[in-house]
Amino acid sequence: MLMMPFINLQLGDRIVTLMAALVLVLQIAMVSQRWIVIHIRIFAAQSLFLAMIAATIAWFNHAPHLYVAAALTLVVKVILVPILFERLVKRMEIHEEIEPIVNVPLSVVIAGGLTLVGYVVAASFYRPDEPGLGHNALAVAISLFLIGFFTMINRRKALTQVLALLSLENGLFLAAISLTYGMPLIVELGVFFDVLVAAMVLGILVYRIRETFESVDVSRLRRLRG
Amino acid sequence: MTERMMTRLIENAAQLFLLLVLAPLVTGVIRALKARLQTRRGPGILQPYRDLRKLFRKGMVIPETASWIFAATPWVVFFSTLLAGLMIPMVAAEAPLGLFGGVLAVIYLLGLGRFFLALSGLDSGSSFGGLGSSREMTISALAEPAMMLAIFTVAIGAGSTGLTEIAGAAIGQNWRFLAPAQMFAFAALALVLIAETGRIPVDNPDTHLELTMIHEAMILEYSGPYLALLEWAVSIKQLVLMTLLINCFWPIGLQPTWFGFGALQGIGWLLAKLLFLSCAIVLLETVNAKMRLFRVPELLAVAFTLGSLALVSTFLF
Amino acid sequence: MLLVALLLVPLATAAAAFFARRRAAMEAVNLAGFAAVFVVAGVLAVRVLANGTVSLGNGFFYADALSALVILLTASVALVCSTYSIGYLRDDQQSGALGDDASGMEQIAQFRMYYTLTPLFVFSMLFMAVANNLGVMWAAMEVTTLASIFLVTFYGKVTSLEAAWKYAIIGGVGLSMALFGTLVAYYAGHRLAGSEALSGLNWSVLAQRAAQLDKTSMRLAFVLILLGYGTKAGLAPMHTWKPDAYSEAPVPSAALLSTALLNCALYGLIRFYILASRCLGAEYPSRLLLLFGLLSMGVSVPFVLVQKNYRRLLAYHTIDHAGIMATALGLGGPLGWLGLMLHMTFHTIAKSLLFLCAGNVSQHFRTDLFSRIKGSVIRAMPLTGVVFLMAMLAIIGMPPFSLFQSEFLILRAAFAGGHVLAGVLFVLFSTGVFTGALLHVGGMILGPGGDTAVAARRPWRDGSVLALAAALVVIGFWIPAPLFELIRGAARVVGGQ
Repeated sequence: MLMMPFINLQLGDRIVTLMAALVLVLQIAMVSQRWIVIHIRIFAAQSLFLAMIAATIAWFNHAPHLYVAAALTLVVKVILVPILFERLVKRMEIHEEIEPIVNVPLSVVIAGGLTLVGYVVAASFYRPDEPGLGHNALAVAISLFLIGFFTMINRRKALTQVLALLSLENGLFLAAISLTYGMPLIVELGVFFDVLVAAMVLGILVYRIRETFESVDVSRLRRLRG
Repeated sequence: MTERMMTRLIENAAQLFLLLVLAPLVTGVIRALKARLQTRRGPGILQPYRDLRKLFRKGMVIPETASWIFAATPWVVFFSTLLAGLMIPMVAAEAPLGLFGGVLAVIYLLGLGRFFLALSGLDSGSSFGGLGSSREMTISALAEPAMMLAIFTVAIGAGSTGLTEIAGAAIGQNWRFLAPAQMFAFAALALVLIAETGRIPVDNPDTHLELTMIHEAMILEYSGPYLALLEWAVSIKQLVLMTLLINCFWPIGLQPTWFGFGALQGIGWLLAKLLFLSCAIVLLETVNAKMRLFRVPELLAVAFTLGSLALVSTFLF
Repeated sequence: MLLVALLLVPLATAAAAFFARRRAAMEAVNLAGFAAVFVVAGVLAVRVLANGTVSLGNGFFYADALSALVILLTASVALVCSTYSIGYLRDDQQSGALGDDASGMEQIAQFRMYYTLTPLFVFSMLFMAVANNLGVMWAAMEVTTLASIFLVTFYGKVTSLEAAWKYAIIGGVGLSMALFGTLVAYYAGHRLAGSEALSGLNWSVLAQRAAQLDKTSMRLAFVLILLGYGTKAGLAPMHTWKPDAYSEAPVPSAALLSTALLNCALYGLIRFYILASRCLGAEYPSRLLLLFGLLSMGVSVPFVLVQKNYRRLLAYHTIDHAGIMATALGLGGPLGWLGLMLHMTFHTIAKSLLFLCAGNVSQHFRTDLFSRIKGSVIRAMPLTGVVFLMAMLAIIGMPPFSLFQSEFLILRAAFAGGHVLAGVLFVLFSTGVFTGALLHVGGMILGPGGDTAVAARRPWRDGSVLALAAALVVIGFWIPAPLFELIRGAARVVGGQ
C-alpha cells in the first residue's frame, strides 16, 4: 500500500511527460505551418493538452485548485479564442502565410535549438530532492516560450504573431503548473481574463489593420520611423 | 555443418522466403485499401504478383546509349535490398544475418541501391531519368540524416546498433514507448518512411507526369525482367522499412526464435502490425495532397529536428 | 473603504460616460470623476502620512508612502488632462480631425470611447498601485495596456494603427516576460510556510521574508521583471513603441501615458527591486538597473539631436527620463532614492505640461514637424510659447527649476557611491539631450517665423496649462511640507525601511 502513491506518481509523471512532448511537437509544427486555419487548430490542440496536463497533475499530485485552471484553459483557450479567430479569418478571407523572414526548414531547426536552450535553463531549476514533477514539463514550457518569441519575430502576418504570443502564454501556464502547481486562484483568474480580453483586443486590431492596409502583412507597417 | 549453422541457414532461408513473398502482398494491400477509401473497386490484392509474372515473361528494350550500369542496377538494387531485409528482425527478435554495423549496414545497403538507381537514371540518357535522379538525391540528402538520428536514438537506448539487441531491449520494457525520446524518434522515422518509400505527400507512386514523378522517372526506361526486379525490390524496401519501424518501437509479438509454434504466432503478429501500418499509410495518402517539390525540405526539416530532439532527449530526460 | 472608494470612483465614471448620450454629459462626468479621485488620493496621502500604511482586505490592498505618492501623481495628471481634453476634443471636432460625419453619431461614439477608456485606464493604474499581490499587480498592468491600445488608435489613421500594433505586440511580449518573472518570484518563495495561500504572492509578505527566498530564482525573476516592466516604462532596448504611440495618441492620452503609466511601470520595478535587493544584496540589481538606465539615456541622445517631429522628440525625452530614474534606482543610497522620488514628482508635472503645450501647438498649426512651424509659436500663441519654453528649460534641468535639484541629487549619489563612470555618462547624455531638445524646441518657439494668425481663446486648454505651469514654478522654489514628507517616506520605502 505504501508503494501505491509512488507508483501512481510515476505513472502520472510519465503521462505528463508524454503530453508535454506532444505539446512541444505541436509548437514545432506551428513553426513549419503555412495555413492560418491550421495554426489556430494547432493552438487549440496544444491548449487542450495543457488542460489535460493540468488535470493530470491535479489528480496525481493532489492539487485540486488546478482543476479550475484546467477548466479555464479549456473554456478560454480551447473553445473561445479559436472560435473567435476562426471567425475573424473567415471574415478577412486570409488563408495562407507568406514566406517568413527565415525560411521554414531553417526556422524549424532553430526551433529545435531553442528547445535545447530551454532544457539547459530548466536543468538549473531541477532539484532531485524535491518531490513532485520532474523538469521535463518545465523544459518544454521554457522552450514554448522561446519558440513562441522566435515565431513572433519571424512571421509577418499579424494574426500569426498574435497566435505566437498566445502560445508563449501557454508556455508560461505550463511553467506555472510545473514549478508551483499553479499560482493562487485569483491570480489565475486575472491572468485568464487578461488573455481573453487581449485576444479580443488584438483580434479587433488585426481586423482594423486589414481594413486599412488591405493586408495583414505587418512588414508593411513602416511609415513611422526615427 | 554444426547445429548452429544449420539453424542459421534455415532462418535465413525462411526470412528470405517471407521477404520475397510478403513484399508484393503488402503493396497490393495498400493499393486495394486506397482504392476502397476512394470508393473505387481497384485491383485485387494479388495483382502485384500477376504484374511480376507478366513482366518476367516480356522482352526487354534497352537504350543504345546505356552502359553496364543500366544492366547491373536491377541486380544490385534487388540483392542489396534483400540483404538489408535479412538483417532486420521480422518474426524473431534475433535477425538471421548480422553484418558488422547492424542498423548502419541496413541504411547503407539501402543507400547503395538508391545510388545505383540514380546512376541508372542518368545512364539511360533521357531527360526524365536525370530529373528523377536529381529529385531523388535531394530528398534522400535530407531524409537520411533524419533517419540516422532517429536510429541512433533507438540504438543508444538499446546500447548497441545491432538490430537484434535493439529489438531485444525493446521487448523488455512495456512503457518505454511513452518516453519522449522514443516518441520523437518514432515520429521522425515515420516521416522518413514516407519520404523513402515515395508515398504521398512526398512522391506519388501512381503518377507518370513529368512535374510530379520522382521514383517513377528513374525507372522509366526499364522494361521486362529488369523492371520486374526493380518493382520487386521497391516493394521489398517498403516492407523492410515498415518492419524496421514496427519492430523497433512496438516489438509485441516478436518471438525468441524461429522454431516451433512461436513462429506462426510471430508471423501472425507481423501481419497484423503490417496491416495496421498500411492502414495508417493509406489514410495519410488519402487525406493529404502531394507537396510541391520545394516544400518537401520543410517536411524533412521537421523530421530532422524531431530526430535531433529525440537524440538529445535521451541525454536530457 | 478609502482604497475601495479610490477604485470605485473611476469605474463609476467610466460606466457613467459609457451610458451618457451627449458630449457635454460625458465631459462633466469625467471632470467630476477625476476631481473626486484627486480628493480621495489627497485624503489617502494624508492617511498614509499619519499611519504609515493603509491596508484592507487582509492585506489584499496595501498602500504605503510609495503607493500614495504614485497615486497622488496619477490623480493630479488625470485631473489636469481631463480639463484639457474638454477643450482639445472640442477643437478636434470643429476642425474635422475626427473625420467628416454629417450626423455626428460617429463622433459621439468616438467621444464615448475616449471618455470611457480614459477612466478605465486610470482605474487600472490606481489598482496597480494599491494591489499587494504581485500577480494582481501584473493583471492590472495588462489592463492598462489593453485600455490604452484603443486610445492610441483614436484618430483611426494608418499611422495610428501601426503605432497601436507595435504597442500591443511589444507590450504583450514585455508583459509576458513580466508574468514569467512574477511566476519565478512566486517559485522563489514557495517553499516557505503559508505560501500556497493567496498571501504567498503578496508583496508585503515576500518583503518580510526576502532574505529566505531562493537566490537563483530571484536573480532570474529580477531580470525578467526588468525586461518586462521596463518595456512598459520604455527602457531601451524595448523602447521602440514609445515614439509611435506618443505621436499618434491624442495629446491628453499621450500625457497620461508618458507620466502616469511610466510612474506605474517604475513602481512595479521598484517593488521588485526592494525584494531583489533584500534577497540578493543591492549589487546585482543595481548593476542591471544602471545598465538599462544609462543605455536608455544614451539611446535617446542621437534621436533627440536629429529629430524632426516634436511629439516624437517628447517621446525620446521620456525614454531619457525613464533611464534617469532607472539609473537613480540603481545608484541607490539615501541620496539616490530621494533623488528618484523627487524626479518622479517633478517629471510628472513638467512632462505633462510639455505635452499639453505641444497639443496646443499641434492643434493650431496642424502639423507635428519642426520645419513647418519655424519659430512662429511665440507670435501666434504667446502664452503657450512662454510656458512651453519654460517647461522645456525646467525639464532639461536648468536651475532654479526643480528638476535641477533632483538630477543634482542623483549625480551626488553617483559620486558618493563610487560610480564615477556612471556619473560621467549621466552628465554626458543629459547634456546631449538638453542641447538637442533646447535647440529644436527653442527654434520652434522663438525666431523670425512666418505670418500666422494669433490663436483664438481657448479657456479649457489654456486654463489647464496655466494651472500646471503655476504648479511647476511654485514647486521649483517651495515644496509643501506634507508633499515633501510623502516623498521622503516613499524614498524610505525604496530604501527598505
